[in-house]
Amino acid sequence: MLRYILKRLLIAIPLIFGVLTLTFFIIRLAPGDPAAFFIQPGISPNVAEQIRAQYGLNDPLPVQYVKWLASVLQGDFGRSFSRAQQPVVEVIASALPITMTIALLTLVANFTFGILIGIISAVRQNTFLDRFLTVTALFFYSMPEFWFALMMIILFALKLPLFPASGLNEIGAEGFGPVGFVVDRLWHLVLPVTVLSINGAAGIARYVRGSMLEVIRQDYIRTARAKGLPEKLVIFRHALRNALLPVITIMGSSLPFIFSGALFIEVIFAFPGMGRVTVEAIFSRDYPLIIANTFISGSLIVLGNLFADVLYAVADPRIKL
Amino acid sequence: MIDYSKRFFSASGLVGCLLLAFVVITLSSCGRQNSGNGKAVTAMDSTLVIAMLGDADYLNPVLGSSVTSSNIIGLIYPSLLQSEFDTDTGLLNYIALEKKLRQPTSREAKKTPKGAVAKSWTMSADHKTLTYILRNDVFWNDGKPVVSGDFKFTYTLYGNPVIASARQQYLAELAGADKGRVDFDKAIETPNDTTLVFRFYKPVPEHLALFHTSLTPLPAHRWKNVKPAEFRNSPLNIQPLGAGPYQLKGWKQQQELVLGSSPKSNLPKPGNIPLITFRVVPDYTVRLTQLQTGAVDVVENIKPEDFTALVKANRQLEIKTVGLRVYDYVGWSNIDQGEYHKSGKVIPHPLFGSSRVRLALTHAIDREAIIDGYLKQYGVVCNTDVSPSLKWAYNDRIAPHAFDPAKATAMLKAEGWLPGADGILQKQGKRFSFVLYTNSGNARRNYASVVIQQNLRSIGIDCKLDVQESNVFFENLHQRKLDAWLAGWAIGLEIDPLDVWGSDLNKSRFNFTGYQNPRVDQLCDLAKQKMYPLGAKPYWLEYQDILHRDQPVTFLYWMQETQGFSKRIEGEELNIAGSFYNIDDWRLRPSANIAQ
Repeated sequence: MLRYILKRLLIAIPLIFGVLTLTFFIIRLAPGDPAAFFIQPGISPNVAEQIRAQYGLNDPLPVQYVKWLASVLQGDFGRSFSRAQQPVVEVIASALPITMTIALLTLVANFTFGILIGIISAVRQNTFLDRFLTVTALFFYSMPEFWFALMMIILFALKLPLFPASGLNEIGAEGFGPVGFVVDRLWHLVLPVTVLSINGAAGIARYVRGSMLEVIRQDYIRTARAKGLPEKLVIFRHALRNALLPVITIMGSSLPFIFSGALFIEVIFAFPGMGRVTVEAIFSRDYPLIIANTFISGSLIVLGNLFADVLYAVADPRIKL
Repeated sequence: MIDYSKRFFSASGLVGCLLLAFVVITLSSCGRQNSGNGKAVTAMDSTLVIAMLGDADYLNPVLGSSVTSSNIIGLIYPSLLQSEFDTDTGLLNYIALEKKLRQPTSREAKKTPKGAVAKSWTMSADHKTLTYILRNDVFWNDGKPVVSGDFKFTYTLYGNPVIASARQQYLAELAGADKGRVDFDKAIETPNDTTLVFRFYKPVPEHLALFHTSLTPLPAHRWKNVKPAEFRNSPLNIQPLGAGPYQLKGWKQQQELVLGSSPKSNLPKPGNIPLITFRVVPDYTVRLTQLQTGAVDVVENIKPEDFTALVKANRQLEIKTVGLRVYDYVGWSNIDQGEYHKSGKVIPHPLFGSSRVRLALTHAIDREAIIDGYLKQYGVVCNTDVSPSLKWAYNDRIAPHAFDPAKATAMLKAEGWLPGADGILQKQGKRFSFVLYTNSGNARRNYASVVIQQNLRSIGIDCKLDVQESNVFFENLHQRKLDAWLAGWAIGLEIDPLDVWGSDLNKSRFNFTGYQNPRVDQLCDLAKQKMYPLGAKPYWLEYQDILHRDQPVTFLYWMQETQGFSKRIEGEELNIAGSFYNIDDWRLRPSANIAQ
């Protein structure tokens, strides 16, 4: 399996590199100018030109590409245009942990609730509970996340002031002590993680339900019950393990989706994570930051897929990598 | 089977629900405890929280270009002069410790002269030399004195093309600038630590000279070893050393920036409020929610449609307005841009080339309806780009062009535009049909463009709407690619319109319409030659008459910027010069004294 993982990683290198090259050219061909902010009355016309020279944008495109390539190969993604020339790596290093926290919490919540609801729906197929859960799941699944986030804020931060509307911590949270600080942080994460996970959990619940229904009708489940095994054991050991195989594939591929969902959620909840970095980088045409973000999300997709394949082999002994 | 599963799920479901409820209650009660007593309340009582749309870029006056940066830089760094906007006259006043440019007429004038590093100044009779005498009792936060050399040093940075400061235009009158490069040895002299001399290559009006020579300084002793090429990347940019009423306490980029009152400051004194936190909240709805729940104290640019609900929901809030500095307009391309790009020839635009047609379009647009429907009492009809707040120059004899579709139709008919078979006006086979562009994400402009579309349709003009991403829209505008657009300007407090209306289309980069009128060029030049602003008044009155007659664009409305304030703030004075105009004088009422 190690050989397989190494092979996949080696294939991933040219793939990610191709994506970066494509991004490099596409963003430069797109309309908009990173120095546009400096083109306004009262600012000398020379300033925009000087800024472009500083950013190296006055060179011909192929020259820019070669220079960029040389520095990326040395692991240098350059400095951000829009964030006071901060090295791009630093910007990402401070944003990534925040997004990873949200993504991991969401992933856990997604699968816990998704699988639980899916099992209930399958086991109680065609009952009122199943229909209720199905309709509710579809309702949340089809709801746009940004709208849902705003509704949650209005409901739980404004009408019922239970949770804060934005930010990572309260003013003066440093004075709460380490435990208080963490609790305060978690308290701030409740709304965003709920928004992100309800939507995802609803989708997963649909998968699990379908997959469970298929498995429950298999002969070996009937055999297990006939043996007199307790229902808990039948559902969790015999049915669920088999029903989860297709779900595992989603787990790997859902990481990039959670990241893209975090894009809106971070802007709305004012979290300084990768999502907000990406959105702001695109609006301000911050080329180095856009490329570095593409690198991160591209790598995540590749790794997510690899992770899914490996997990597949771990869960199903019939699959050999 | 169902029995088993029922039991299993009801048990696990119950445990799950209880667990969830426990977590939610624990977390929310922890949060409420935090904000309901003890440390959090103490923190809030000594902290003013301002919500901002975006983070500061540089805390360095040479580089900082965002509004947030300017607000913060103004609190951290010393300033040579204090400037004050006189609401009675609309003139900017400049104040040193012992001298004022003019005596303020407004009752609102409250800026203390103690905030200025300059003790006084003298302008030479030929208006070519400005000499400042500085105080000797002002110190940077590290204890070193603020000296004239700091100002000279920083001006060389402002003028360095490698650093590319957005404020290098301020140096355009200094000696040597006429030959392409400021000669700093000649232009700025520092005979001793408290004397600072600026020399200009031409006579400069005193108010303009004061404006252009009072850029914020950096401490030379701290920055002198930083190479210009590394200036933007220097770590000193995030550790500002100032002398103002506040100093930087902490900066979590893209989250919050905390300023603490600077105990030793005498410019004019340590800030009243111990801590000011600027919080980044990019989403408008969330900023509103936070203002309503009391998590933040100030939110700028609140939309008029949200006022009623906001103030009704929380009686501890009030809406404050500042003067008229921002207007929206519909731009009509006066010239055929395609032809101009191709051959450089200026020929009238086939639709909007005639000033009679443009005037008819203004008559056809119901500007009052847009104001009533969206801005309400916070908007007024705009006649030209001279703001009613600039009272000394404003032409109040101009009556707005009334909404009169019948008159518009008659004027268009006289210009040869007659209804075609499809109801759309036609002239020599050409239909009066065009696309009106605007930028995305601006609810006010969206509202206005829909009203305009309906107004124009009712007199037989086919106006299609197109919303473009802001970057794309402004690039198209700068490249003069659009025929008709809805945009806006925020005006400066000094009138200088040549960039927008100058006839030299290569030089006037913001003349997107291609409007040309030699008399306007002449009036702008004449006004600049006057050494005292009031002397230029007749020129500006005539200028407004011309714009009102020629209608190079349809001026829509001036709007008051509206800010939401918590009533726990006391002593705030909002001014056209900015919402945080006297923030060092603000006070916070302790929470115990706030009526529920």
